[in-house]
Amino acid sequence: MKTTVISESSNGALHPVTAQLVGAASPLGGQITVICPGGVGSSDAAHISGVSKVISVEGDCFETYDCLAWSKSLSPLVEGDLILSSSSAIGRELISSIAASKGIPVVQDVISLTDGFSATRTIYSGKAIEEVSISPPCAISLRANSFESAGEGGSAETTTVDVSQEVSVAVKRALARASERLDVSEADIIISGGRGMGDPANFSHLNEVADVLGAAVGASRAAVDTWDEIPHSMQVGQTGKTVTPNLYIAVGISGAIQHLAGMRSSKFILAINKDPEAPIFGVADYGIVSTWEDALPVLKDHLAELMSN
Amino acid sequence: MGVAVLLKQVPDTTAKIGISGGRVDESSITKWSISPYDEYALENAIKLKESGHGDVVAITCGPARAAKCLTEAAAVGADRLIHILTESSLDSIQVQSLLSAAVKESGCDVVMCGKQAADTNSGSTGPGLASSLGFSCVGGVTGVSMEGDVASATRLGPSGLEEVEVGVPCVFTFDKGDTELRRPNVRGIMMAKKKPIDSLTPDDLGVDASNSKVSIKSHSSPPKKQPGQKFVGSESVPEVVNKLREEANVI
Amino acid sequence: MAYEALDFYDIDSLLTEEERMVRDMVRDWVEDRVLPNIEDACRDGVFPDEWRVEIGEMGILGAPLKGYGCPGLSYIAYGLICQELERGDSGVRSFASVQGSLAMYPIWDFGSEEQKEKYLPGMAKGDLVGCFGLTEPDYGSNPGDMITRAEDKGGHFLLNGAKMWITNGTIADLAVVWAKLEGEIRGFIVEKGDEGFSAPEMKGKHSLKASVTSELVFQDCKIPKDRILPDVKGLRGPFSCLNNARFGISWGAVGAAQSCFNSAREYALSRIQFGHPIASFQLVQNKLSWMLREITKGQLLAYHIGKKKDDGSWIPEQISLAKMNNVDMALEIARMSRDIHGANGILDEYPVMRHMANLESVKTYEGTHDIHNLILGRHITGIQSFTREP
Repeated sequence: MKTTVISESSNGALHPVTAQLVGAASPLGGQITVICPGGVGSSDAAHISGVSKVISVEGDCFETYDCLAWSKSLSPLVEGDLILSSSSAIGRELISSIAASKGIPVVQDVISLTDGFSATRTIYSGKAIEEVSISPPCAISLRANSFESAGEGGSAETTTVDVSQEVSVAVKRALARASERLDVSEADIIISGGRGMGDPANFSHLNEVADVLGAAVGASRAAVDTWDEIPHSMQVGQTGKTVTPNLYIAVGISGAIQHLAGMRSSKFILAINKDPEAPIFGVADYGIVSTWEDALPVLKDHLAELMSN
Repeated sequence: MGVAVLLKQVPDTTAKIGISGGRVDESSITKWSISPYDEYALENAIKLKESGHGDVVAITCGPARAAKCLTEAAAVGADRLIHILTESSLDSIQVQSLLSAAVKESGCDVVMCGKQAADTNSGSTGPGLASSLGFSCVGGVTGVSMEGDVASATRLGPSGLEEVEVGVPCVFTFDKGDTELRRPNVRGIMMAKKKPIDSLTPDDLGVDASNSKVSIKSHSSPPKKQPGQKFVGSESVPEVVNKLREEANVI
Repeated sequence: MAYEALDFYDIDSLLTEEERMVRDMVRDWVEDRVLPNIEDACRDGVFPDEWRVEIGEMGILGAPLKGYGCPGLSYIAYGLICQELERGDSGVRSFASVQGSLAMYPIWDFGSEEQKEKYLPGMAKGDLVGCFGLTEPDYGSNPGDMITRAEDKGGHFLLNGAKMWITNGTIADLAVVWAKLEGEIRGFIVEKGDEGFSAPEMKGKHSLKASVTSELVFQDCKIPKDRILPDVKGLRGPFSCLNNARFGISWGAVGAAQSCFNSAREYALSRIQFGHPIASFQLVQNKLSWMLREITKGQLLAYHIGKKKDDGSWIPEQISLAKMNNVDMALEIARMSRDIHGANGILDEYPVMRHMANLESVKTYEGTHDIHNLILGRHITGIQSFTREP
């Protein structure tokens, strides 16, 4: 058994998901090779326990992201029965491209893996679970935080491979984001405030948490109707927007039936309200009985800490 | 010249998904639609055609019902319709082989599709197809314009939103952008109905569609959510934050 | 939750692909453009002009008419368009009904070649808006005794009189006006800006608030001789227009009823009382099942009369039955839906009270409920009961 892990990087360093990829490969036994595109994080990768070999692939083509150029550079170095990557946007693209160049199938965004080639993933945006068996050799991308990380303490041998590959995608310029904050209708995470926020100026506390999470900020109708500063475009509910984010955080919202109609299909709901009897707790997966003044600063700090590693 | 746009028919994203006998019960799905990201690809393909980059060839791969998404594409401006008729579930290599044969046949030098389909959410087709065709690939774009053989695209890259240039031939996979999708109109619908669909089998394209390397063992409903957990006081916030990551896996 | 139109008897399977595509196009438009804005439009009492433009761009105006830039769709498709528009709001459907069935249709059927070419292509695109002047302040169910008169002045006609309850009147570029010329009812095309013509808007409605309702006033209104509809005389003219509009209403009412049913069902499933969703209580289930039963019957009536319109085998009394039954059904369903919503039912968070108020108008316009009963009474017995012997 031979496994090749394509490492994931962020901000010029090894992304922690890489250790999870190794963790998923370890129970299969055999040799685990980690390939680091652009050489990013190769020394850290060598310290992941269970890694037999690290290949630091370096070359000008890694200065910007070009799927085909990266895939052509990495593909000759990838070998074995199983190729793993993260299911991030780039992870998916790279592994698809590498798998295609080798003529092997790829299965994406897997959340559990047994015996190497029996994989589980969610389909139809989480409305069903699919279990597939894959004939090796094959490529699989894994969802972050679904597998135990391999520990530290490894000391794998690292080889550096210099590649030169023609780049076809040229980055011309960076663009400013069109709007600084996402709209509630397209965000994966929404934090909404109700009249319990007391004053529209207090929505700034929701904005701070939203910035940490990359979330959109929403509001209940009561808040929109009461305060001119809160625009209708933020309204979630029967006459506002119907949203189905992965996480909906309701702060100071009692949970009138009209509000629930717009957000109850969210995958997970966290409610923060000082009234333990508030109906919002009836639909919440996690409820915190607390004033927002007490809860939000702690929430922001802990989220910031969690998101930074 | 020409833009091939790859469309996948999926259950409407609001449809309920029923499971029966360990498989998703397709007969219970009341509405099938073009996968949402593919709709952005289609819109941009038509825009490119309007700016003079040849015809739009809409290609779908799937069972008989999938022909509907080609007619819908024709109603908003697709010129040629190709339906690769497949019944069984295929692995990524098989899908890419079929599509790559159809794209070659179409003669198009630009291929557009969604960054992932709304059913499996995989996102393998665009980059995989590019690799097997030897085309460049730009993923997650929100707009493409062309000057001669050079395309300029907006994408959300590793370091933020950026404008990139790439030569054809190229595959673009689309994210949802600010682009407003055009609505069909009655005239378009009536013309679409008359537009012929080229129906091709895997045999016609010289691809073996049997022996998928990926076989479905079972489908099941997601586990029922745990009953809600309630905590008192802001001191419980750290515990809840951990649960959001460990239990709910949403942050 | 996404909208799933009630279709218990699978009418969908009887539709052609083209009909389904047209239906879905209009349904998506209503979802994207009407529903998010309808309460504002009602509050402001306006029919947003962008709706006119977009309805025109979809190419659905004058749906069943052929030629002169008109769509040439089936009557079933026309019905489906009305159903989806009225699922949004009766006022939106009224705009399309009046434009297509009451203004475009008489020009298409009774107009001269020049009139058809002058008006129909622009009306089909929504660039020109039409209205229809038949009802007068003192003559509603009894249009035969109308007062509005036309006089032949040799070089032109002179119109005098007033029309009331005219949908689209103030925003219209042209009005098809029915007036007596030498004692006989004739149709005239009056253009906005014609001397002696004005169309003040009627305000203060509690119903059809997102629709423009006007008076048409003719004070020595001078119109050229080529504005008379040459090919029809008598009440047959306006009545043939009304038959088409009533047909559309029979479908539109189904759309309003589907919207109310949908809202009631969702509400009943999510509203908890006595520890359980109210949908689990027998009295509520009884109401929902009655609603499903009535809507299904109404759908079958509408579909069948649509088929008869398409093959030409219909009689006007059949349209009267469909209009009367389906509006009555829809109004009862709106009231029952409001009941299921409890106090919440009166809020603009839900569409039911708006549909209910709209349907009170729809019950009365285009032949009141009672007049349709009398039409059927005459058909059954052979005895007309509209007028008394002096």
